[in-house]
Amino acid sequence: MATVTIKNVWKYYGETPAVKDLNITCPDGSFVSILGPSGCGKSSTMRMLAGLEHISAGDILFDDQRINDLAPKDRDVAMVFENYALYPHKTVYENIANPLRLRKASEDTIKARVTGAAKLLEISHLLERRPHELSGGQKQRVAIGRAIVREPKLFLFDEPIAHLDAKLRAHMRGEIKHLQRTLGTTMIYVTHDQLEALSMADYIAVMHDGELQQWGTPAEIFNHPVNAWVAGFVGEPAMNFLTCDIKGQGDDVLLRHSNFEIPLLPGQVRQLNGAAQAGTARMGVRPDALSISMTRPDEAAMQGEIFVNELLGGDMLVEVQLDDCRIRVKTTPEFEGKPGENCFLSVNRDKWHVFDAGDGHAYF
Amino acid sequence: MASRDVVSYDTPLSRALKVLAGLFLALYLVWTLLPFFVMFVSSFKDLLEAFKLPAVGDWAGITVFFEFTPTFKHYTSLFTENSFGTYILNSLIAAGGSAVISVIFGSLAAYSLSRVDFRGKQDLFFWIISTRMAPVVAVMVPLYAIFRSLDLVGTLPGLILAYTTFNLPFAIWILKGFFDNVPFAIEEAQMVDGSTRFQAFRSILPLVAPGIGAFVVLCILFAWNDFLFAAIIGSGGAKTLPVATRELVQPQNIQWGSIMAAGVVTTAPMMLLGLVIRKYLVTGLTMGAVKE
Amino acid sequence: MTDVSPISANPRAVAAQIFRARAHSAEVEARPQSEITNRPRSFNPPMPKRYYYYLMAPAIAILAFISLYPFFWLIVMSLQDVDIGGGEWVGFKNYVKLFSDGRFLDGWWLLAQYSVMCLGLQVGLGVLLAVVVNSSKYEKYLVTALLMPMMMAPAVAGLLWLFLYNGTFGWYHWILQSVGILDNASILASANTAMYAIVLVDVWQWTPLITIIALAGLKRVPRDQLEANMVDGASPLRNFFAITMPNLYPVLLIAVLLRFMDNFRFIDSVLVLTGGGPGSATKILPVYLFEVAFKFFKLGRGAAIALTLLIVTIILGKLLVRVFEKPQNEKG
Repeated sequence: MATVTIKNVWKYYGETPAVKDLNITCPDGSFVSILGPSGCGKSSTMRMLAGLEHISAGDILFDDQRINDLAPKDRDVAMVFENYALYPHKTVYENIANPLRLRKASEDTIKARVTGAAKLLEISHLLERRPHELSGGQKQRVAIGRAIVREPKLFLFDEPIAHLDAKLRAHMRGEIKHLQRTLGTTMIYVTHDQLEALSMADYIAVMHDGELQQWGTPAEIFNHPVNAWVAGFVGEPAMNFLTCDIKGQGDDVLLRHSNFEIPLLPGQVRQLNGAAQAGTARMGVRPDALSISMTRPDEAAMQGEIFVNELLGGDMLVEVQLDDCRIRVKTTPEFEGKPGENCFLSVNRDKWHVFDAGDGHAYF
Repeated sequence: MASRDVVSYDTPLSRALKVLAGLFLALYLVWTLLPFFVMFVSSFKDLLEAFKLPAVGDWAGITVFFEFTPTFKHYTSLFTENSFGTYILNSLIAAGGSAVISVIFGSLAAYSLSRVDFRGKQDLFFWIISTRMAPVVAVMVPLYAIFRSLDLVGTLPGLILAYTTFNLPFAIWILKGFFDNVPFAIEEAQMVDGSTRFQAFRSILPLVAPGIGAFVVLCILFAWNDFLFAAIIGSGGAKTLPVATRELVQPQNIQWGSIMAAGVVTTAPMMLLGLVIRKYLVTGLTMGAVKE
Repeated sequence: MTDVSPISANPRAVAAQIFRARAHSAEVEARPQSEITNRPRSFNPPMPKRYYYYLMAPAIAILAFISLYPFFWLIVMSLQDVDIGGGEWVGFKNYVKLFSDGRFLDGWWLLAQYSVMCLGLQVGLGVLLAVVVNSSKYEKYLVTALLMPMMMAPAVAGLLWLFLYNGTFGWYHWILQSVGILDNASILASANTAMYAIVLVDVWQWTPLITIIALAGLKRVPRDQLEANMVDGASPLRNFFAITMPNLYPVLLIAVLLRFMDNFRFIDSVLVLTGGGPGSATKILPVYLFEVAFKFFKLGRGAAIALTLLIVTIILGKLLVRVFEKPQNEKG
């Protein structure tokens, strides 16, 4: 159990920075997810935490102890690797027992801990098998078993379920979350899958190009992204972006597109704070903050032409041609519009976002 | 690979090709195996029987090849009149010694070369491989001069060291490929689990052990079959089998029966070993460029 | 109907449009301009890699002693007139002499002839054999049989063939005579035929290596390419030349280079079979070098010859290593 502090950490590979001036504090016992696309520096960060990579600059602290110069074995962390890294020539039992053996635990302790961990992970019947006789999901449980058997200060999970099929992944998400809550050990979980991060973590650190973009709870990240990049990366189906003009009209501020003119809510006018008066901005709206109808609901509605319908089981995703761009709307499967027909969209203005047209930071 | 054959359909052409292919294969097999057969059979023939040939063009006379009473005397004379027992031992020590030295130090070096990056690594690597590829005679000129000044000529340690000139680079080169194939993640997992770096290295040894074992055998094979080093560096006190066999050729009186028997004695063990490590043979003989 | 829907008009174009539109709307938007442009104020001290160097050190030390040190010796020796007694400096005299040494130049020429003949036959036979073996159901046994000659010590192979070629009792001599290729003289005794004799032995022993390499190459020919070409209408023969051969070239190149260098490296069988004779008919350069250095003990001159041989080998080696890198990177 430990509070993990990453202080001004840089990672250079040769002259290329992979992690830039990273600052994160993971509270004791929390489940923190580092989220980002491949190459964003999330794995480098995790490997620096484990001691597998040299920390080019800055410090990492577990509680108040600086661990920069400790070998992995002295850091008391446990790690689950993306491709499990099980020892192919050892049985499941021996794989899980390995960290205890290296710490010269007694045979009784080992037996008790390994069977305990196996029971928790429901792999008791596999203990005598070897890794090549296991399915992906089972291997993954063994890898987790090897991590939890030792009760370390910190868990590091590096995309542990990326190679599983979709159904198993959904199942394991719940299991891992439950496991972490049960053990109460601080966990840092690296993933490129925003759904995993949103569904499991207490806090998410979103990274891009080696830099921390946003730190917050899943709800904060999803509902209040700090910039257009985070907004576009988190959420599936992805947020729609439309370039609009901002136009003052009396007391109102309007968002104007060739297709529509919609006033901002009063609170949002304040948040805009005159910054982008009479300029352009990017309006962002998630597909589920839009509603579609075949008849004009009100004056402010956008008018477009249905391009294609996709039925996604319980939902329907409609792609609508809006002048020169397309946006996606989530609706119910009962929606009856056909491609080529005219339709109308209205926006839930509580849930839309406006981003700066230049640097992409969020006004609200 | 379960289904590597691309489907093919019968045509007159393909049938004709098939027959031709079969014929070619049969002829080639005869050409490859006949010398072994002649060597093996001749090693049991008395001198005069071995010299029997039919008249030129008399193809039916081939049967004279089989007209003999088998004798083991060539084999026994190798060990009684000659000291082939000693030569076998010399061959074993020289080949085995250099193989063991090469693989022990080679695997340490191969492992670290596989795991660490530094400036000049490619050059170091090229140096290693070119040591292995250098013409044996060219290497031997300075080596002979150096060894003579160190009194290593004609000794088994000298021969072991000489064989190491080609076996050690070979081991480094091939074993590096083996270590490259072991995911670093396994060692990393070990280290996170609490092992030291050396323990981590040891933990992956079982994964490369079959390969390492096979390459001990290959190093033995290369050294065992060497003639040049043994003839020059080993001349005198460290005579090995190929050299001893060659010495049976004397201007006046070539003892063909003994030579054939010695050939069988020299070749048979290597053939057996070759079959045992067949899986790695191709990798070994092609310096790892081709993996089966 | 005048109002043709775009989807039925040209499905491909529409699909392309859809994908483009997707890519557009899912496009990840620009993040704020980074405020982090400077480098860190100070770096942590680098992590030592000593551990790895320790592991490497013994092997490097041994190699230095048996390869680097002799190499410098070789250079020093080549500038001296060395024989059994000792040496004296002669500068570049050894090198200058080489260019007027007919046997030295002949040695290179013979080596080239020998290599080209060996390789031509080995590649031709080897590839043919690989194709035949590859389509045989007894492949495993055939390969085992083919491996045999390679397990034999080249010197022993030389002795065995010496026996087979023998002018009075050699069976191969008898066969060659019987089919009318040879008259009474042994194939080894005539300057016209001795070269062919040593080439044949090399072909006997090492063609299987080419076969096995080509066999590995054949297995790597992408099945989907062959099948796509077949569906597109290619005959099996055409398939072979259009798909199989181009895929085979890289491994064959490796095989050729390896064998080429081996022709420089090993002269065991030639030494045993002819010792360079009759006359100098088979005195390929390494054999000549052997004679100069270890028969006449002109070690200084030998060193100069050895250096020329080494330089050519190193150039070949560079070439080989460059070719090596490719299939290794593919790791298929």
